[in-house]
Order: sequence, then structure tokens, then C-alpha cells
Amino acid sequence: MSLSRRQLLLGAALGATGAVVHEDVGAASLQPSTTEAMATPPFEVIALSRMAYGARSGDFARVRTMGLTAYVDEQLNPNFNNDTDCNTRIANATLRIVYAAGTGFPAMDEMRGLVTLNKTQPELWELRVHPANAERIRPIDEVVAANWIRAIYSKWQLFEIMTDFWHNHFNVWAYSDTRISSLWSHYDKSVIRTNCYGNFRTFLEAVATSPAMLYYLDNATSRDGPANENYARELFELHTFGSQNYLNNIYDNWQEVPRDSQGRPIGYIDQDVYEAARAFTGWTVADGTGGIPNTGLFHYLDTWNDNAQKIVLANFLNANAGPQAHGKAVLDLVAKHPATIRNLCTKLCRRLVSDNPPASLIDKAVATWTANYTAPDQIKKTIRTILLAPEFLSTWGGKIRRPNEVVAAYLRSTGAEVKPSAELFTWVTLAGYRMFNWATPTGHPDESGYWSSSNALLNTWNLLFHLQQSYFPPATFDLQGQMPGSVTTVRQIVDFWIMRMLGYQPSALVKTKLLKLMGQNGNLDQPPTGTANDVKLRLSSLVHMIGMLPEFYTR
Amino acid sequence: MDLTRRQFVVGCSSAIAAMAGGRLGGLAFAEPGDIQRDIFVVVFLRGGCDGIGIVSPLDDANFQAARSTITFPGSGTGAGFELGSLSNVPFWLHPKAAAFKELYDSQDLAFIHASGLTNGTRSHFDAMDFMERGTPDNKSTSTGWLTRHMAATRPDGVVPVMSTGSALPASLLGSPNAVTISNVQRYAMQGYSTYGAQQQASLNEIYGQTGSLLDGPATRLLSSIAAVKARNPANPYVPITTYPAGGLSDSLKAIAQMIKLDVGLQVATLDFGGWDTHESQVPILGNQLDLLTRSLHAFYNDLIDYHSKLTIVVMSEFGRRLKANRSAGTDHGHGNLAMVLGGNVNGGRIFGRWPGLANAQLDYGVDLAITTDYRTILSEIVVRRLRNNRLGLVFPQISQYQPLGLVRGTDLTIDWTSGFRSYLPMARR
Repeated sequence: MSLSRRQLLLGAALGATGAVVHEDVGAASLQPSTTEAMATPPFEVIALSRMAYGARSGDFARVRTMGLTAYVDEQLNPNFNNDTDCNTRIANATLRIVYAAGTGFPAMDEMRGLVTLNKTQPELWELRVHPANAERIRPIDEVVAANWIRAIYSKWQLFEIMTDFWHNHFNVWAYSDTRISSLWSHYDKSVIRTNCYGNFRTFLEAVATSPAMLYYLDNATSRDGPANENYARELFELHTFGSQNYLNNIYDNWQEVPRDSQGRPIGYIDQDVYEAARAFTGWTVADGTGGIPNTGLFHYLDTWNDNAQKIVLANFLNANAGPQAHGKAVLDLVAKHPATIRNLCTKLCRRLVSDNPPASLIDKAVATWTANYTAPDQIKKTIRTILLAPEFLSTWGGKIRRPNEVVAAYLRSTGAEVKPSAELFTWVTLAGYRMFNWATPTGHPDESGYWSSSNALLNTWNLLFHLQQSYFPPATFDLQGQMPGSVTTVRQIVDFWIMRMLGYQPSALVKTKLLKLMGQNGNLDQPPTGTANDVKLRLSSLVHMIGMLPEFYTR
Repeated sequence: MDLTRRQFVVGCSSAIAAMAGGRLGGLAFAEPGDIQRDIFVVVFLRGGCDGIGIVSPLDDANFQAARSTITFPGSGTGAGFELGSLSNVPFWLHPKAAAFKELYDSQDLAFIHASGLTNGTRSHFDAMDFMERGTPDNKSTSTGWLTRHMAATRPDGVVPVMSTGSALPASLLGSPNAVTISNVQRYAMQGYSTYGAQQQASLNEIYGQTGSLLDGPATRLLSSIAAVKARNPANPYVPITTYPAGGLSDSLKAIAQMIKLDVGLQVATLDFGGWDTHESQVPILGNQLDLLTRSLHAFYNDLIDYHSKLTIVVMSEFGRRLKANRSAGTDHGHGNLAMVLGGNVNGGRIFGRWPGLANAQLDYGVDLAITTDYRTILSEIVVRRLRNNRLGLVFPQISQYQPLGLVRGTDLTIDWTSGFRSYLPMARR
């Protein structure tokens, strides 16, 4: 579909609910139909729905036995060598690559391993000029495949959840430029995964100097007179302060910005963006032009840099400060600002707990984040605070799973054998979760309102059906084979899949409907009646049905 | 499948429900005692389209000085099209927008220049939030402007409002009856026949009373699927014009098909991204315009039987900086171009007031100023074409109705009551 490097296709980000009431509108902004909240499930269900892509067979019991604290600490200290099943699957995974012959290159159609995952940055850089587009974007396809394998099979589920969080926070549209797509495994591994549980200021600079971000937000071409403002604006608006702290009415009168108790400006203004953009001039990529190396690595080009004095957040940056000094000073200023800290902690709570997380929880996260500002595991400590706070278990029903989370949880809980392929990626994209293919720098929205569109629900529900079909390559199911010999009656079959997929008993109405679907008009305390094939279709429909339930969607 | 009453809760009377499966004839556009309403299509160009680069004052010395590297010529190879003048300043249309020149010459298309969101934000996402909520100083209003418009018109069609994206835009935030349909043929649930029908009926009942966040959305999905299925849409859809290839055309075709299905569609929205031309603007903007104008031309003529009740607005969150940057692109600006297309549009003209491009005339000395509030444009369409007089509800912060004469239609006595209570922060700028 790609028309241009900047094909924006976004659903508007849904902001927080404002204090607006109108009696005529009957606004359906996600009001439950009854005042009765959904029943709060046991803690292991809450933990596995938020810290993992759902539960595999045995996970509910395991977490229940070890307790929440032990589970959190295990997950926050991953040993990636101790993940044999997942690592073996990635090593053995293949993904089809197919393209017609073109000028100077032959046709290709083969099942190829995920060979770009461990290539160095300069090796990947060479791919950008491959004459076949499928080769230029191959690193993205391989990272998508590897991430699906990890989401379904990795022991280190929380790390995968957080990797996805940071990919969205520091969103880059991977398909927008072949210089980005060729380097994609580097961005995923050396920028996002390396810093996932680390220090935010370090993370911020890793992103600012990554070719992926430099190309995506145009800073690679930014030079003195006038600078390109794209990266600088998103640095403030999305990566750090958040737009809630943008004082657009003040524009360039920096002396008019209200100060906090410590004399810092309470927010940022357009002039801060313009000045910061000047600070980042010359932060580019070694692309071989004008005598610089051709490695695809970060490169600072002093001749492009605007080295005159700047005023950022009411701080004077003196002229001629030395290579990259002003850019790094800007990163220091924005990373340390309390507005940034609160924005980041709110986003973490929104991802891990609820669309509208309690203020008390955000406060706790802010305290940990601030106290560990220079710690190498600042992010990890903050996540631990959030997961072990009482608010983590006392909130339920305020968030739904996104399409990719529904699908991963479904595949995990049904014990499906998964071989990621284009059909899976395409369908999840149709449902709205466009992994590495979200055009705007906002990343995917993290609010339930966005994910409850008819499109998202319908395509997800239909994908759950297709996944079980023999014509659909990405997954194979053996539902019958997973049930122990003692599970024979309709009631036992329904209970087995309820406990496997949900981990607790749903409402009485839901239970009735599931029994009816599996048992039809037969005796519920007898094995299901009908032909073997008919029973198989009902079992498949039962599992599909559980995947569409509100209990399965809630996280 | 067994239709319960709940399935037609959404914008659909029980009389229609009783007819489901039969032909739901002619229920779409008429309200007793009212004239027929237009079908309103809102195309949002995401990313900030460069309005002054699309409809350009090529003779202006300030324009030439700021944009010599990225503009098109007024004559010779690759010349733009002459459009006539605004405020005695002559304008040219971008050469890649030839399909729009045709619609402009046939007087179906009008431009409104130097228009937009008066709030001074240079943030894409803030600007869209303000615009689409219809409250330019409050981006956390819980309903979109189109949601409030629809509430005032009390639609009785089975699918009165749709969006083609993967999710609803903010203009439809809080809508009790909006659905997202990107492909009409695929708007159906997969399942084993008997058990699939049972699943749907059960889900409909379950989501009627779970207390989950999905109650409304899920029941809305199920009822709209039933409504579309009952009309038996052609598979595949056969338009009467040839659309260019691409996702934009797919979205437009889905809207055209839904209009022809006669399910009471009144409002449709779609997004077209790719306008954030911070660098390499010349080729990017050219491709974007070529696709936009040819796709909309095909869509408009595919709906030739509906011209008398079709109004299309094309808008964007803001325009771009007058002066090009060193990446051969333009950064975020302010004033912009809006476009209105339809059978009742007073087309072939540029509306608005041109503020000029001298330093003192620019917004903050760098961007095109805004002389027409975007709500002025939308209000006129809401009143004259969509027959809704409740501007107090739709745009709670305006207090004047000042039609520009963009569209034909009678004016109504404006109801300024809003019933809309909103905490508004101190007015900005």
C-alpha cells in the first residue's frame, strides 16, 4: 500500500474522559450495561492477564502456588538462556520469502530461517540496497515472527509485554523507509530489548541516536538553517513530557511559563521545540555521503550543527559547547523533568493495570522512578512497585485485551502448535494491531475505547475461528487430545476449557450458554451426543466461544 | 439466525426488525415533515496537508522567496491550473490535482483557504483531538462533534453512521450507533453454520448484561452485521467508475456500497494519511494529491445518482510552514485549505479571506494565518444540508452562525441551547 514515507493512517487517540455531559447524546463511550461490575477473579488470573499473554496449561496453578511476589521477581529477572523451548523454536523457525525475478536478480521462493536476527548493524545496512523489496523488509518480517514465537512460548512473558510497550512508546514505522526496515532487528534488539528494564535516560539517548528513529522522524537530514523540527517535537510531546504538558498558548515567551516550586517551567512551549531542534542538528547516520563512513551507524556531523546559544526549558545552553553537547543537554533536561516522570509512570500503569489507573498507584511509581533516577535498573524497579502495589489486585474490569493479546492468549491457553506466518500477521493487522506498521509516532493507543470498534472485534473473532481450520497454516490444534481420560461428560468438558482458558468460573448466564453449545439438547452429565465429527465441531465452537467472552477479553 | 429484540436496539425500530431478512425498503433518509437529509462524508487528511502548496498564490513575492525550491510553476512544463482569485490574489491548483480541476470547473467543488483550527497548537494529535471533538480548547471532551450532530438528528436507519478505519475517529467518540466497516463483504461472522448462529445469539444475550466494557460495542456489532446481511450486499461490489488501486479507494468503495445498500447511512468518515511532509515534499505531495483527487473523482461519479444529497468535506489538522526547511520539506504550520464537494455546493470558487504572506500578516511571523474557523464551514453544512439547527450542541463554544454561501439550502432558526456542560480551561490565544 505504501505510497510514501509518511502514510499516516491513524485512529484518533482517545483522550481521557472529560467532564462533559449531555442528556441527548446517550454517549456510548464504554458504559457497562449494568451497574454490576464483573466479578474479580483470583490473583493468578489478574497477574497472567496483565504480566503475560495469558496462561499456558499449568500456569494458573503454578503462579497460585508460588505467590505474586515470587512470580513478579522471577519475571523481572529473566535468564534468556533458560528458555530452551522458545529459543529452539526461534532457531528452527522458517518464514516464506517470495518474489519474482527483476533486473539483475533471480526469482525467489523459499522457506528461510530467521537469519537477520543476529546480524550486525553494518551487515543489516547492506540489505537496504538489495534490488528486491522483499529482502529489504525481511528483517521486519523476521522480528515480527520471532516476537510472536516469544509471546506464545517464552517463559519471560513480562519482558515481552514490556518490549511491546516500549516499541509503542518509541514507535517507529518500520516499513516507512528501507533504511529503517533493513536495520529493524537492530532496533528491536539493541535499542528496545537492551533497555527494556533499564535506565530511562540511557534509553532515551539510545533511541535518539538510533538510525531507525533518526530516519523516521527526519532528524537525519536536519541541519542548521532551518532545522527539521519533527524529532524534537515528538521528543517532548510523546517520548517525555506528553501533550498534556504542552503550553501552546505561550508559544515563544519562555519567561511567561509558570514555574514549579523548584523554579522549573511546568511545561514546554513551541520555542522549546524549535530550540531543541537546533540542538539536534547534525545528529545523523553514516550513510557514505560527503566523505563520511557508510556503515549505517550513528554519526555526528559537526558542519551541520547549529552551535549558537539556545534557551531550552528556561535553561541557557552556551554557544560552542562541543560535539553533541547541546543535544545531550536537552535529553538531560527533558528526562529529568517531573512532567516526564509522571507521564511515563502513568503510561506504565495504564499498560499494566487499567485505562484509568488510580492516582495513588501512579504516585508510588513516580516515587520509585525518581528515587532511582540514575540506577541502571530504574525501569525494572518502577515496574516492581506497580505490580506489587495493592492497587494492582484491587482494580479489575477497566481494560480489555487488544487483538494481538486476545490471539496470543487464545493460542497459549489452547495449547496450539504455532508456526507464525503471513496469514497470522495479516489478520491481526486487519483487526487493528499493526505490529511495527503503525504510521504515526504515537504508537498504538492503549485505551479500551479504541479497541472495541466493530472492526477490531469482528476481525479478531473471525481470526479465532480461522486459526482452528485446517486450511489456515499458522496454527494446529488438538483439543480432544489435551483432555485427560477423566473428562468425558458435557459438564466436565466445559469446565475443563473454562478453567484452562479463563481460570475461574464465569457468570451463570455464560455458563448456561457454554453448556448449551457443547451439549445441545443432550444430558449434561453424559458424554456429548452426535457423530464424532459433530462433537468435534461443537468442541471447536466451544473454545472459539470462550475466546469471544467478556471474561476472556478483560485484563 | 434467531433475532432477538436486542439485536436491533441500535437505531432501528421494531417495525424494521420485524422485516429483517426481507427488503428494508426506503427507510433511509426521510424524517416526517422534514426534507431529505444529505449523506455526509468526511475525509480527514492526517498529518497536516500543505494547503498553500496545493492551492498556491504563485505571483506573491513572499511565497516565491519562501518556497522557490518546492513549488510548481504557473506556466510551461508541469504548470498548475489557474483557479481565479481570492481577495484579489490569483491562485493556482497543483498540477497533480487535475481530477479536482475538473470538479472545480463543473462547479461541484469549492475551496476554502486560510481556514482551520484557531487554537495555535502545532501538535498533530492535539490539533486532531480539538478539531474532531469540536471543542478547540478542550481535547478531553468525551464526545465527538459528529456524535453530537447524530444525536440531534435522531437517525432511524439501521446503519446510520460508519467509519472505514480500523477504529472510530475522535469525531465519533462516544457514538452509540457508529460502526467500523472496511469491507462490506467481510462484514459477517465466521462459524459452523448451526453453531455459529447459536454463538451469535448467545453473545448477543451475554453482552447485553455482563457489566463489561464491551457490552455496547459487541451488541452494536452483532446488530449491524444482521442489518447488512439482510440487505444481501453484492459480492464483490461493482462500482460504475474505475477507482485507482489502493486502500483509499477500498474505503471509498465500502462507503459507496453502503450508500447504495440503502441502510440509512447518513454520515461516513475516512482517514487518508501521509501528509506530514517534513522532508522530500515535492514527490510525496505530488503522489498524495494524485491519489486523493483521482480516488475522490471516481467515488463522486460512482455516486452520480446521489449527487443531489451528497456532501463531502476534505479537511486536515493544520497547514504547513511557509518557509521550506533544509530537508526540502515543510514543518508544522497553521492556516490551511479545506475542500467541499457535492451536488449542492456553490463550486468553482475559492471562499474565505486571504490574509497575505508578508511577515506582519503571518501567524507568529511564520505561518499562514486563519481567517475562517473550520467550524464556520461545518456549521453551514450541518444547517443547510444536514438540516440540523442545534449548533449549540454540535459546537458548544460558538455563538454565531455565519454561512459563507458554500452550499445551497435554506437556513434554519439556530438553537443555541447545548445542554452541554463542559469545564473549559482559560481560552488560548
